[in-house]
Amino acid sequence: MYTKATDKLIKKAAIWLVAVIAVVFHIGYFGFHNRVTDVGYRPTQPVPFSHKLHAGDTTNGGLGIKCMYCHTTAEVSAHSPVPPTSTCMNCHIAIKTESPRLQLVRDSYEKNIPIEWRRVHKLPDYVNFDHSRHIRAMIDCSSCHGKVEEMGVVSQAKMLTMGWCLDCHRNPEQFIVPARPISGIFTGVKAAAYQPNAKAELGTPAPITEPSFGYVPTDVPKQEVAGIPMPKKPGHGPENCSACHY
Amino acid sequence: MEQQSTVKKKRFPLLRVLAGLALAVLLGLIFGGEIPWFSDTPPIEILNDMDDQFKVKPQVGSTFYADRMASRELVPNTFPRNGVLYPLDKSDFEFVDSIIGANPLQRTDFVLNRGQNRFETMCAPCHGNDMHGEGTVVKKGFQQPPSLLAENSRGLTDAHLFHIISAGQNLMPGYAEKLPVNDRWTIVQYIRSMQESKPVE
Ligand code: HEC
Ligand code: HEC
Ligand code: HEC
Ligand code: HEC
Ligand code: HEC
Ligand code: HEC
Repeated sequence: MYTKATDKLIKKAAIWLVAVIAVVFHIGYFGFHNRVTDVGYRPTQPVPFSHKLHAGDTTNGGLGIKCMYCHTTAEVSAHSPVPPTSTCMNCHIAIKTESPRLQLVRDSYEKNIPIEWRRVHKLPDYVNFDHSRHIRAMIDCSSCHGKVEEMGVVSQAKMLTMGWCLDCHRNPEQFIVPARPISGIFTGVKAAAYQPNAKAELGTPAPITEPSFGYVPTDVPKQEVAGIPMPKKPGHGPENCSACHY
Repeated sequence: MEQQSTVKKKRFPLLRVLAGLALAVLLGLIFGGEIPWFSDTPPIEILNDMDDQFKVKPQVGSTFYADRMASRELVPNTFPRNGVLYPLDKSDFEFVDSIIGANPLQRTDFVLNRGQNRFETMCAPCHGNDMHGEGTVVKKGFQQPPSLLAENSRGLTDAHLFHIISAGQNLMPGYAEKLPVNDRWTIVQYIRSMQESKPVE
């Protein structure tokens, strides 16, 4: 029964089987992998706002505005805000006042309606992520967002998967970019313990000579991780499930 | 006839293998994320477990209210617990001395470091890192502010500086929303120390 023809058939079938499995595996693994579906996500924004122009380095023709000028509360709260229209109008009240590209910004300012920016980075709602903890550990924005100051339109640079978070929490030395001046992150003495919002009442601001409020990690000897002083001992992030899921 | 076709099939075997390899490497690089592959369509979600929960999130609209604003404005005749941001107006310049006292912060390393960081972040686009009033935005056509090392600024009291930062002055925007009270005082302390260490202009 086993003729030359069946032999050929079996060989052919085997080759096809391998090919089909390979193709299905590749489409399945890469096609629906987060890398493909998330990294490089670059939605078109309602206003053609350019980080390259506003935040870009002055040697590159940018204005060199620090990230913290617009994304103000990244160092004190979990959420790093996209700036309100009034921030744009600080300058655009007198600059490019006729530009058609800024029409939406002016409308939004006059009518008091927020601009609907399209969101780029998004974790699932069951993950607890806190900007302030990372910024106060003097981790630069570019460790997680790529070089935003070189992007004309913001796109997602990192995967934002659980594995990615944990990689850095286990081996921070390999993944942390130390705070750069361009980000405007506070790296002065005892930066980690400072709480600018404490007692924010006019007339009676807390008389501080020392940043004595908030959590006090300062007694731990500062260790150098990739050249930056880390407030927590070896500067590791948490790995227990309840730190990120609750 | 048969001879010919088999010969034809086997032409450039090495080239074919190489082309196949090159294609595989290229696909690998693109899918592996080494070559950026930009897309305007939102990420595909196969199983949307509990990714989008029905709750109020910062800076996300809400379908619950008619005006779609998730964070609500104050009910009339109520005040926020942590006080008003800054009750004075640009035009109250003359009274500030009687309302706001001297700088409550002492000049420590910490206060100066923080003041410098805040100044270089919030003020330098216009005033410049060195306070001469030649920031990057001014070079693009914004009105040039006076140097903060000049006689006029040295004559201002701490309270006046605090007031200008909070409420603004003419074309300069106020920063009460963006800078907490303590941060504003650290900036005042930093400006003072610069004025003392640099020559009058
Ligand atoms: C002049 C104000 C301004 C400055 C300065 C600025 N940004 Fe932005 N940023 C914005 C605005 C407006 C958006 C929303 C529109 C967009 O996505 O392009 C945004 C969006 C972003 C996003 C994407 C948010 C999302 O939806 O996921 C990231 C990340 C970001 N900025 C990081 C940075 C970093 C890092 C810097 C400093 C290098 C910086 N920004 C400087 C105004 C600014
Ligand atoms: C610190 C000052 C400053 C702030 C804040 C700022 N811009 Fe600008 N922006 C500028 C300057 C200066 C230019 C013009 C640069 C030039 O002349 O090349 C500009 C140019 C632009 C342009 C291009 C206009 C054109 O016609 O070419 C757009 C769009 C724009 N800004 C949007 C925004 C938005 C949106 C925001 C708020 C998130 C914002 N800007 C906040 C300083 C600022
Ligand atoms: C440790 C990593 C990390 C660092 C460092 C970091 N970010 Fe983020 N950022 C994230 C993640 C993760 C998200 C998505 C958060 C979410 O979906 O809840 C995000 C979201 C954002 C957003 C969008 C928020 C929104 O809801 O639209 C902005 C804007 C932003 N980051 C700006 C910054 C700036 C500016 C810095 C530097 C001062 C910074 N980030 C530093 C990880 C980081
Ligand atoms: C570039 C490195 C890096 C990345 C990426 C990173 N982290 Fe962290 N994370 C740290 C470090 C370092 C600390 C410790 C900070 C400290 O000591 O104050 C930390 C602390 C934390 C904490 C604080 C725990 C506590 O005690 O309050 C949480 C929560 C957290 N990370 C969640 C995340 C999540 C979620 C992601 C992924 C979206 C992520 N991190 C990505 C470096 C990173
Ligand atoms: C450093 C923060 C962090 C820690 C610690 C962490 N996770 Fe996660 N987890 C995440 C993030 C971020 C995601 C979302 C990943 C995504 O969107 O692809 C996630 C997603 C998940 C998911 C959903 C996966 C899916 O695709 O549906 C499960 C289940 C999960 N985590 C379980 C755990 C368990 C169990 C632990 C403890 C061993 C744990 N996580 C610890 C950050 C963390
Ligand atoms: C958008 C540009 C801009 C920014 C940002 C800005 N200023 Fe100004 N500032 C001006 C302009 C313009 C004037 C001149 C106002 C006038 O004509 O009276 C001024 C005036 C001043 C004066 C009064 C000087 C004098 O001699 O009358 C002080 C003090 C001052 N600014 C401090 C600050 C501080 C502190 C910050 C940071 C929190 C800051 N400014 C941020 C544009 C700016």
